[in-house]
Amino acid sequence: MGGILLFAFPALAIVLCLVLSSRRKIDLLVLLHALIHSGLGTWAYIERGSLMGMDDLGLLIFLILSVLYAAIAFYRLGHKDNSTIKNYRIHSIFLMIFVMAMDGAALAKDLGLIWVFVEATTISSALLISYSNRKSSLEAAWKYLFICSVGIALAFAGILLLVIAQPQHATLLISKIDLSTISPFWLKISFVFILIGFGTKMGLAPLHFWLPDAHSEAPAPISALLSGALLNIALVPILRVDKLMHASGMGDLVQELYLLMGMLSVFIAAVFILRTKDYKRLLAYSSIENMGLIMIAFGCGGMAYYAGFLHILGHSLIKAAFFLTAGNALQIYKDKNYENIGGLLKINRGSGWLWLISSAMIIGLPPSPLFTSKFLIATTMLGKGYYLYFGLLMLLLAVISWGIFNVGLKICLGDSERKQSLNPWLYLAPAGLLFIAAVIGIFLPVMN
Amino acid sequence: MLEILIVLFGLSLLWASVTNMLGTIIKILVVQGLILFGITLLKTTQLNWLSFVTIALETLIFKAILIPWFINDTIKHNQIHREVEASVSNFFSLALMSLIFILSFALAGAAPAWSVKIFPLEFGIAFATILKGIFIIIANKKLITHLMGYLIMENGIFLLSLSAGSDLPYIVSLGVSLDIMLSVLIAVLFIKRIRSTFDDADSPETLRED
Repeated sequence: MGGILLFAFPALAIVLCLVLSSRRKIDLLVLLHALIHSGLGTWAYIERGSLMGMDDLGLLIFLILSVLYAAIAFYRLGHKDNSTIKNYRIHSIFLMIFVMAMDGAALAKDLGLIWVFVEATTISSALLISYSNRKSSLEAAWKYLFICSVGIALAFAGILLLVIAQPQHATLLISKIDLSTISPFWLKISFVFILIGFGTKMGLAPLHFWLPDAHSEAPAPISALLSGALLNIALVPILRVDKLMHASGMGDLVQELYLLMGMLSVFIAAVFILRTKDYKRLLAYSSIENMGLIMIAFGCGGMAYYAGFLHILGHSLIKAAFFLTAGNALQIYKDKNYENIGGLLKINRGSGWLWLISSAMIIGLPPSPLFTSKFLIATTMLGKGYYLYFGLLMLLLAVISWGIFNVGLKICLGDSERKQSLNPWLYLAPAGLLFIAAVIGIFLPVMN
Repeated sequence: MLEILIVLFGLSLLWASVTNMLGTIIKILVVQGLILFGITLLKTTQLNWLSFVTIALETLIFKAILIPWFINDTIKHNQIHREVEASVSNFFSLALMSLIFILSFALAGAAPAWSVKIFPLEFGIAFATILKGIFIIIANKKLITHLMGYLIMENGIFLLSLSAGSDLPYIVSLGVSLDIMLSVLIAVLFIKRIRSTFDDADSPETLRED
């Protein structure tokens, strides 16, 4: 029943959207979809396994998506843009398709199906990124579609190799794969392809080029979903195959690969956070950094494994709030270069404070859940004797924190005579996300 | 017969390594599409009729006719310079292709015999095609050449899926259905629109970091 509602409602809403002629009605329809999504998320959390047999990993990703989708549906009520009703309708339809595709990827257990849904997220979100139809947004969408298509094609090659790895009764249903007969040789090669392929979609270095452009060119609510939800979706198939690797006794190789890609991603982020003048690109590089940290957490294992999931949760909520706040700043200044702007606290106190709190929470100051996750990653690294990685990571995190806070202070401080108020939803949506993140940071959730 | 077709497919990769002309790469795509169609015909017994019809249509109509025609049309309409403008010489490209072949066959040969469902020649050529596609994407500057590299890579994956598909037929259909959707999207939505927005269809910007 829940599964039918999850996919049938947006399908009906898409048809209805085609005949609606007012933005308000379209916004309310999207909000209704988001509320149903949240309701199903709550039900799935209370009655474990009730929603299409969802497992814990699927549930975590689904819940994050529910919260984020609800927040952006409320945010849209106050968000203004100059597009025509026709474009807005198409945008809203593809938003619902995008969410449906992400739901499918979170719920599916068959690697082939997950791949199809991840592919569908690429196609639907490419249209959302190019929404403004500017030269830069078209270029960003092209880059995103092309690089992610290459990644997805490589992931498909990895899936084919997984089929080849099974000498008899091949299946892509992870729980049904017979580990006693699987070929470790082909499984290893398959995993490398799957990691690079879906890692591209996650924005992991060295195939991260698409991410800063796509996240900075998309409208604020889409950037929030791309960064907070889509990157997690790309991690799902990697973690599902990761289980096979660990069960086949190749966990060490997996952890080394995670550490390597993670450290490289944090390094790339640190370099470009210092160079960029565009505050939305800065947030995008911060997403690359956090995806890198998540991989480092899974690469360290032990307590850091829990930290990895906590980091996924915390980063999604805080980064989505940050992107929504950046959307407020863009609405106020109409400029993405932070060197040309300032005095946000004077012009719009609410957005100014949201920016400062988001900055503090994304770099991991308490009560951010990222404080605990980073602390656990650091202690696990020391406990396992990864001293070189630890030293390098701390240095890079210090550089990134300085970069983010420095930009935050430049934007928020300074004098201005101008005052501008915004629709209350534009504060409430990011504030709600930050509040949930703080609650999670204080009452740390138990995860299986 | 199957072996001959696969060897011909491998030779088309060497051909792609020594050409500088976009028109020749289009011809190579046509040849690869036809060879894949031939391989599909030879694998009729391993596929159910629905998969067979879908794959036959995709390889013959889509890979061998529609996509090459579309790329040719785009080159004409956009007045794109007909040379590839690769950042490496033909000699280097050919030497690297040879290395790719060696690596792919070494990998095929290193596999424990009991686990291999496809024979090494098939795997080696398919794997080399995937790597060649990636190399074309990396080594070239033009957006249209990136797309051609992507299509060659997809042909390699398709060859691999035909081999793996004997065990899990639906996987071939998965690849086929999304290949079509994706290629159409890339082709129609983006190249045409980017053409009207950018000064030319070169894409040095797509490799820019910041």
